[in-house]
Amino acid sequence: MKPRHVFVLVGGLGLGLGSLAAARAAPAGSLAGASTLAELVLVGAGAALVACGVAAWARRPGSRFGPTLAAAGGAWLAAELNNPQVGSPLLFTIGLVASAAAPALVAHAALAYPDGRLAGAPARAGVVLAYACTLLALGLLPALAFDPGAQGCTECPRNLLAVADAPGFVESASRVGLVLGLIWAPALAALALARVVRASSAARLLTAPVLLAAVVYLALVTATYAHGVGRGFLSNDTVDHRLWLWQGAALIGLALGVASAWARGRRARTRVARLVIELSDAPALGGLRDALARALDDPSLEVAYPLEPGRHVDARGRPVALPDAGGRAVTPLVRGGRPVAVLVHRADLLDDAALLEDVGAAASLALEHERLQAEARAQLDRLRASRARTVEASDAARRRLERDLHDGAQQRLVVLSFALRLLRAHVGGEAAGRVDAAEAELRDALHELRELARGIYPAVLVDEGLATALDALAEVGSAPIKIEPLPDGRFAAGVEAAVYFLVAELVRRADATGVRVRAQRAEDRLLVEVDSGGDLDGDVVDLEDRIGALDGTLVVARAPSGTTTVRAEIPCGS
Amino acid sequence: MRIVIADDEMLMREGLARLLGDAGFEVVGRAADAPELLRSVRLTDPDVAIVDIKMPPSHTEEGLVAAQEIRASHPGVGVLVLSHYLESVYAMRLLQEHPERVGYLLKERVSDIAVLADALRRIADGECVLDPTIVARLLNRPREQSPLHELTEREREVLGLMAEGRSNQAIRERLFVSPKTVETHIRQIFQKLGLTGSADSHRRVLAVLAFLRTP
Repeated sequence: MKPRHVFVLVGGLGLGLGSLAAARAAPAGSLAGASTLAELVLVGAGAALVACGVAAWARRPGSRFGPTLAAAGGAWLAAELNNPQVGSPLLFTIGLVASAAAPALVAHAALAYPDGRLAGAPARAGVVLAYACTLLALGLLPALAFDPGAQGCTECPRNLLAVADAPGFVESASRVGLVLGLIWAPALAALALARVVRASSAARLLTAPVLLAAVVYLALVTATYAHGVGRGFLSNDTVDHRLWLWQGAALIGLALGVASAWARGRRARTRVARLVIELSDAPALGGLRDALARALDDPSLEVAYPLEPGRHVDARGRPVALPDAGGRAVTPLVRGGRPVAVLVHRADLLDDAALLEDVGAAASLALEHERLQAEARAQLDRLRASRARTVEASDAARRRLERDLHDGAQQRLVVLSFALRLLRAHVGGEAAGRVDAAEAELRDALHELRELARGIYPAVLVDEGLATALDALAEVGSAPIKIEPLPDGRFAAGVEAAVYFLVAELVRRADATGVRVRAQRAEDRLLVEVDSGGDLDGDVVDLEDRIGALDGTLVVARAPSGTTTVRAEIPCGS
Repeated sequence: MRIVIADDEMLMREGLARLLGDAGFEVVGRAADAPELLRSVRLTDPDVAIVDIKMPPSHTEEGLVAAQEIRASHPGVGVLVLSHYLESVYAMRLLQEHPERVGYLLKERVSDIAVLADALRRIADGECVLDPTIVARLLNRPREQSPLHELTEREREVLGLMAEGRSNQAIRERLFVSPKTVETHIRQIFQKLGLTGSADSHRRVLAVLAFLRTP
């Protein structure tokens, strides 16, 4: 607490005591002097507003809410200072000017709750009008034209501001103030009510107690003005007195509303403290989000990590799109000048910016940790995708090459064999023998070319699918292949190629007993097992690469019987 | 004998036509794709259509599909499919529906006009023709245990000729043996392999091939 806060508190205390003393000295001319209850309401409401105002001011020095609320408390207490028994001309004069100011200040503070800004032109205009009415029409102007002595108040202290004695002007000004009060007070009450109705749920929880108390208070003020307008000035008859008591009660309610928001804030900080404890054990994948969602009381909370400008990933490294709108707000959490994470949350959480900040600070280390992990996972995903693309591209190139060999080279060679055949009919002797030899050579070349093309990428795999291609492989392989019935239907080209080349490679390496192939589909995975009699010749890294590119796994197991089983598991969609 | 040739490669088409012309065949139609082929068959009603397995647009198995269409719509027209592929699955697709008046030969085989002429005559006579290389491959494929191992060398030879689609008469002429000997061989083979015999040489091809295609 700073000296200015102490000063305001002591000033408020002084005002309260002075007001109470004045009210006690002349109960007839006061609102509060009539009963102990009234005294309690006078001091209770004033002290509550001043105390809450000072506390709010201390918490948020930049906000005008605190000072305005404290001033409202002061004005409420000053209502008794225009009592003839107050003794001091200065206090009396202050009382004359300020005794009607409380409603304008309360309306201003409530509509500016909690950040101290008056949003919207109607609110600003209404508050300006309220100040004009209460401080000028019902305060300064009548004070200027009121000479207590001339009006027969012998006990009254001197009015320091009196420049003339014009009872007619006093009454006119007061009446104008009261009539205008019948406009701004209900208008501002309606505005406050509308704000409650329109607020988001979290914001409503925070502001509704304060705004609704202000609505009740302004309604009571309106009633007081309506009661006084016939008479032409504010006074303290029985009706005024009752209305004033209820006004005090409403103001106490308003102060309690402000205090309750702080209590909620304290509970939120307790959640933040619990968050810190929870995060001291490194949370499991997704655990951090859950802990943050609990701390912020937003089950829909999402955490995203910025990878590079415009690209975000979740904790698992999968890309996520940040929402543009739709009731979701995006808050970047910054650490060391760098965004560590982005929270996607209910828009109304922003109303509690301090909580959001506290949570971000509490979790920043855990977030940084998870961000690094997400980055690593995203990189892994990218590498995997790149590996898959490499294999895909190489498969596509193989298919093209196979096709080019068939449609190009092989076709040419066949045409060439025709040419040789035609030539053969026209030559004899030694030349005929040479043509025959050339034809034989050409036949061998064609045979080798065909085998080469089939090895590169068998057309039957593209045309007829895995099962037929494996059957065809069994016709030409170097070792017997026993194929147990394969799952029906076609698989993605990459999956079929991976299994085909896996089996082809294992056949190539198998001994004379050959291999046995089993395959089955288990939900969205294709399980392939290839048994072979002897040891696998060489390592299986190149096979693993192809399977791994499809995000599959390859395991080699050697049974005591000597059978080696290669087990591949490949995601194949559903 | 009247022939229609379908091949999208002009050089191939013309070379084949020339070879056939020199050998005394009458080439009555030439087509570059399946629709042209079907039109030509409809117009000229040839004895045999020679069809490249790969034709536009996709260059995969258009020839096989066209062959099956011709066999269904013109039962009197034989079809010889020329292919680059040794895989028996393509040949089986061709034979399965109508195992008569059809043939499947490797493309380069046809430069040997004697082989080509023989195949065309057999198809025109109602037989079926399967490339000897494919048959040899099936016969020699790696097998762990099989009744095939119990066949004598001669029986294997006869089995191969049956798989090529040859009739008893053709087998007899090939091997220079009596009709009775051929029948004895065939009976022995069917018994050893556990096949139910069929006098119909067309159906016999399918049974033999089905056996050979299982490991």
